Amino acid sequence: MPDAAKIPGWLAVPQDYEPRSDRSSFIAKSMLSVASVLRQLRLDGGRSGRFSPTAPVKLVLSLGAIIVNSLATNLMTTLVLLAFVLVRAAFLPRPALAHVAAMAGAAALLAFVLMLPAVVLGQPASAVRLAVKALVSTGIVMEVALTTPAGELTGALRTFHISNLVIMTIDLALRAIVRLGECALETLIALDLRSVGRDHGKRTSMGGVGGALLVRASVAAGDTHDAMRCRGFEGTYDGGARSMSPRAADALLIAAFGLLIALSLYLEGVL
Amino acid sequence: MHIPENYLSPSTCAILDVAMIPIWGHAVKKVRETVPRDKMPLVGIAAAFCFLSMMFNIPLPGGTTGHAVCGTLIAILFGPWTACLAVSIALIIQAVFFGDGGILAIGANCFNMAFVLPLVGYAVYRAVSGRIEGRRGELVGAAVGSYLGLNAAALLAAIEFGIQPLLFSDASGAALYCPYPLSVSIPAMMLGHLTVAGIAEAGFTVGILAFLRNAAPSFGIETTEADSASAPVIGLVVALIAATPLGLLATGDAWGEWGLEDLAQMVGYEPAGLSSGWEWSALMPDYTVGVLPEWFGYLISAIIGVALLVIIFRLASGAMRPSVDFDA
Repeated sequence: MPDAAKIPGWLAVPQDYEPRSDRSSFIAKSMLSVASVLRQLRLDGGRSGRFSPTAPVKLVLSLGAIIVNSLATNLMTTLVLLAFVLVRAAFLPRPALAHVAAMAGAAALLAFVLMLPAVVLGQPASAVRLAVKALVSTGIVMEVALTTPAGELTGALRTFHISNLVIMTIDLALRAIVRLGECALETLIALDLRSVGRDHGKRTSMGGVGGALLVRASVAAGDTHDAMRCRGFEGTYDGGARSMSPRAADALLIAAFGLLIALSLYLEGVL
Repeated sequence: MHIPENYLSPSTCAILDVAMIPIWGHAVKKVRETVPRDKMPLVGIAAAFCFLSMMFNIPLPGGTTGHAVCGTLIAILFGPWTACLAVSIALIIQAVFFGDGGILAIGANCFNMAFVLPLVGYAVYRAVSGRIEGRRGELVGAAVGSYLGLNAAALLAAIEFGIQPLLFSDASGAALYCPYPLSVSIPAMMLGHLTVAGIAEAGFTVGILAFLRNAAPSFGIETTEADSASAPVIGLVVALIAATPLGLLATGDAWGEWGLEDLAQMVGYEPAGLSSGWEWSALMPDYTVGVLPEWFGYLISAIIGVALLVIIFRLASGAMRPSVDFDA
């Protein structure tokens, strides 16, 4: 056999090394928290359905519905909104539904707990009313967030005359969070794999992870700027306005909102 | 057939509540074993059929009203224990959100309509459909099974009502809870259910089953196709929701579901257990929404009830472990 094909001597020595056990729970916890943040940002991809209205209409009307819900003094308006929220939730993909149910349920429970003194004082209806309102408002926010692509949602901010520079900053920040989050996860996995045996330097390595991320962010920012300049970026950012032409669902949702306003005013005694 | 609050004594309610615990436990175990994870959302839709059928009030002889339950339908589609769970959840939603049925009487209502009804109905369905071949056998079995299942549940409810004056009365002999003895409760409940309500139950069951077998053959546990609810099924649910205000056409309360004042007028006194008993304030009592028209309240209640059932079962499917067939 030629010399190049033989296994080197040091490789053939049997390994007697048994590394000492060490707790690495803080690396695992860090990885878990980064992964869960990434999961939330990437949940459902913010896909809009075939019959979804445009993002600006969704944003404006959902804010309007939350305001109507908050201002309503009787429960009937809230119950009508609850019907809308539940029907929309019933058609969400299951992971998104679980997310909405968890957040809205937690908000309702918190509101009910805060209103427990009212229950003790013999006014349970107040606690229930506030809990249902919290559930409805949180449900509306979560459903809009989970059914709208992030880019369209930030683009919809133009409806409120927010400057394109702010929208571009938010867009770039969201993309950077996801990319740097993935980078942080890879770095933590590499750190965990390299931490064999008892290693007291693990905790100080976190500073290194942070530093590596900072360098990566700086390099990525420069690359992004160069790429945008190469593609003809002159400083104006349309925020995805081209993809927001009106849809038939917009008219339907606006009409439904108009009916809600009329109902609310009738129940409040204004009409 | 929904037993309201305070018509049964707390001890009767407690016995039936406790009796349901192992039944529910067994039902959960059987559902985990027999219902695939991807079929659970369809169970939610079947529970929605059950919820909607209970909203259609039907006039019965004697001036009272009744309703179908469709528990046997769910048993045929997904098994009797799945039906037990689905009908139980529908009844709990009705009691908590709409005040239809007492909170303390949830155990009694579930025992009658979620346990006895689907199990009796399914057993009869299997016996009858086994003797007649093909689709005809299935539909005839469904009709007979659902009819007998509903009447079995009605009989139990009548017995639960009728034993109250026998067991719980004050020193003067006045009943503390339901004042009508067995000699009144059984004929009163059974007359309506053996005639109109039983036929309505059979009609609902056979009608929906025939529709599903034609329009959505994969809707059920017997097929392995993973199918989300198809457009015809969703269309049927929407049509039933839109039709729920028809239930308002039947005036009059169901037997045993009178208000305290009406009952006092009928028997001449207010049973102490009813007048001083515990009351639950539902969000939408009797499917009404405040001062808005009754038909609007019915529509909103139907939408909320159906959506809640679909959401609960979709979330439950997420909590189930995916079943992997290693032999496939």
